[in-house]
Amino acid sequence: MGPVKARAASTLAMRAIIVLVAALVVIPVLWTLISSFKHTVDIETTPPTLVFTPTLDNFLYVLNRASVRNALINSIVISASAVAIGAVLGLPCAYAVARYPTRRAPDIQFFVLSLRFLPPIAVALPLMVIWLDLGLYDTRIAMIVTYTLFTLSITIWLAIPAFRQVPKEIEEAAFIDGYSAYAIFFRIALPVASKSLIGAIVFSFVLVWNEFLIALMLTTSDARTLPIVASELSQLGFDTPWGILNASVIVLSLPPLMFLGVLSGFLNSLFKRNA
Amino acid sequence: MTILSVLALVPTVDAINIALQNRELSSPDSQYVWFANFIALFHDARFLHAMWVSLIWEILTVTATMLVAIPLAVLLFEFTGPAVRNALCVLFIVPVLLPRVSAAFVWKFAFHPLYGLAAYPLHLLMGHPVDLLADPYTAMLTVAIVDVWQWGLLFSVIIVKLLETLPRQPLEAARLDYARTWEVYLFIAVPMLRAPLIALAFVKMVESLRAFDLIYVMTRGGPGVATETLDMYAYSQGFIESGLISYASSMAVLMMAVTTIAFTILWRWAR
Repeated sequence: MGPVKARAASTLAMRAIIVLVAALVVIPVLWTLISSFKHTVDIETTPPTLVFTPTLDNFLYVLNRASVRNALINSIVISASAVAIGAVLGLPCAYAVARYPTRRAPDIQFFVLSLRFLPPIAVALPLMVIWLDLGLYDTRIAMIVTYTLFTLSITIWLAIPAFRQVPKEIEEAAFIDGYSAYAIFFRIALPVASKSLIGAIVFSFVLVWNEFLIALMLTTSDARTLPIVASELSQLGFDTPWGILNASVIVLSLPPLMFLGVLSGFLNSLFKRNA
Repeated sequence: MTILSVLALVPTVDAINIALQNRELSSPDSQYVWFANFIALFHDARFLHAMWVSLIWEILTVTATMLVAIPLAVLLFEFTGPAVRNALCVLFIVPVLLPRVSAAFVWKFAFHPLYGLAAYPLHLLMGHPVDLLADPYTAMLTVAIVDVWQWGLLFSVIIVKLLETLPRQPLEAARLDYARTWEVYLFIAVPMLRAPLIALAFVKMVESLRAFDLIYVMTRGGPGVATETLDMYAYSQGFIESGLISYASSMAVLMMAVTTIAFTILWRWAR
């Protein structure tokens, strides 16, 4: 083989590896999706089959189950409230740190980040005791307050660089035009940084929507969130009901995946900025 | 800010407080037993085993994630056009967006010894059904594959973005000097990205500590205690088996102390 040919061959081989990795992402997820429309008979075959009569039974079963419905509502209410509170409190706080830097600003940033270092079990255990003592264990309020701790810290951490990116000149011009500090925040800084801020808020949503361990420990039935209930479906009856399980996996995964576009754009802007 | 510090400090202080008592889930009364829980921990073979499992899990997943992410990013950067690359970058963040419970079930299903898509080739190869999650030797490896599936691919996307920000001249100069492609990356691109790569490894170390949900869904710490990490053990002590909240809490405090110290040292050393 000549050098040109060898080069073409190796390019082909490398591209094959990339295709293989892409297949590793698509196929398992697609397989779960396909299997969620299968009857149990079509799932429990060796070898796995692609020929089957589709059914909606699994989804109907999942969505009609009282525990799943309750968990779905819980997840939506708890995540949405925690994200909203995190944004309302976190954005002004981040703006203050970004615009009025004090000597303690880097410390604050590091401290907020260090909240992520704590092993979740170390947070969950004492919180459980606190909520038990307050009589709020297994309530939505307790979950909302707990999750706000996460959304708040993530929102602040990601919003500080977003606000720093807003050109200072625009704000100074607004100040000269007689805008108050609040007006500058609401009418200049928020709209200008909105794209990154939405990314940050969406990220905090995905984080609490997917959260597992703390929800597992802080709830028993009333305030159970969707990931926990989905994980419990595997214990229905004697055999693992894979069709139902796959349907619940799809329902659980849809909300974060809806934001795929927003988050991928956010990731891009995060790294373009450092360039 | 103050609210946040209070919110963050209260659980930490409380965790230490509880760890010094003998509180149980079944009864609200408790006395201070000071360091009895901690002393008991070091005579607890299962705790020591869980510590060992956690350590292996950390090393395994962090190394594997970086070893997958860096070459994959180089491949993407070198062998795909901008359009394809951007599409793949979107695709590769799908796994990490999936709730871990979902990712765990997707792969638990794929590895199902009889009906699983990923287990079927093994079945053919070995001539009998293979249950990777039931074998103590392969269980952790299998769970680690799922972890790397989520994080390795995300990191490869991030590293691609980082490579795109690098100045072209040094890389092209090396090529003119007849450096091979892999040499260009190994000796020039990777050293140029040293700081962000270390930061990524650091992030992965922190994230690997939160693999509870993955392990919980896939193996529940089993078979036996083969994949029982510290948080799994603390959870089962605090809830399922005995309700020894204080005992579990002392484990959590110890974890907190060890990770804080380890990360501070690593962070200083890396800088």
